[in-house]
Amino acid sequence: MIHLITGGSGSGKSAFAENFLVNLGETKRFYIATMYPFDEESHQRIRRHRRMRSEKNFTTVECYTNLKKLQFPSDSNVLLECMSNLVANEIYQEEGAGRLTVSAVLAGIRYLADMVENLVIVTNEIFSDGMDYDEETARYQEYLGKINESIAAFADRVTEVVYGIPITIKGDKMRE
Amino acid sequence: MKLIIGGAFQGKTEYAKNRYSVKQWADGRVCPWDEIFRAEGIHHFHEYVRRMLTEGLDPADAAQRLCQENKDVVIVTNELGYGVVPVEAFDRKYRETTGRICTKLAEQSSEVVRVICGIGQVIKG
Repeated sequence: MIHLITGGSGSGKSAFAENFLVNLGETKRFYIATMYPFDEESHQRIRRHRRMRSEKNFTTVECYTNLKKLQFPSDSNVLLECMSNLVANEIYQEEGAGRLTVSAVLAGIRYLADMVENLVIVTNEIFSDGMDYDEETARYQEYLGKINESIAAFADRVTEVVYGIPITIKGDKMRE
Repeated sequence: MKLIIGGAFQGKTEYAKNRYSVKQWADGRVCPWDEIFRAEGIHHFHEYVRRMLTEGLDPADAAQRLCQENKDVVIVTNELGYGVVPVEAFDRKYRETTGRICTKLAEQSSEVVRVICGIGQVIKG
């Protein structure tokens, strides 16, 4: 199963995604961490996320670019967090896919989805503030938007998390 | 506790006034800090959070106290955080703090309504 989870900043989407994976059962859990720790604020964010999942038995694998280098057992449940960081890394880091980011990321997602039992992907809504951005930022929005749209098309479930409340966009509605 | 959320200028306060019989509102933009603990309704709650952060106060503490002392309050707040990560550190802190607080308030609320174009969708309750 592929489950795409989206939401705004501070919406509780990560906690929801982690709990969703935990509720899938005791199968081995992996966490693909994509945030590159480039300053104190990102270190703080990473520490906060580590605290959040410390009791949930995840094995953390750091991956800033190229999902295809990852290997997991076929019966594992995997959480990728989060797509917005991965896309930024692919665009801006030297070893990233650059202009080929959209196709590289989608190929990576399909590769993982074929390998593991359940793949949960956290992404981010960065499209609704009504601001016009410079060309580079607009390209980032475009790439992330295309990737979200493409994953949603082949995902089994798409959920938007609004202040901790899951809203089903695609798939059967969840029961509390 | 009831929580009304949505983007700016969506008719949230009007919607809340029609749905709940709240006569006395605390305005988060200008009200004294303590007013939210006894008000029937609070609107512009996100501005209250921003003011506290600007003053170096902790809005999470205020939100916790609100949950304990004013359990029947109706809170109207903008839904933030649907844009590109802001350049300014304060702006990032403001939108994330507001999000985390609203997630807590949503958890405590018996009803959460999201208003778009003046139309409310009950997403909890």
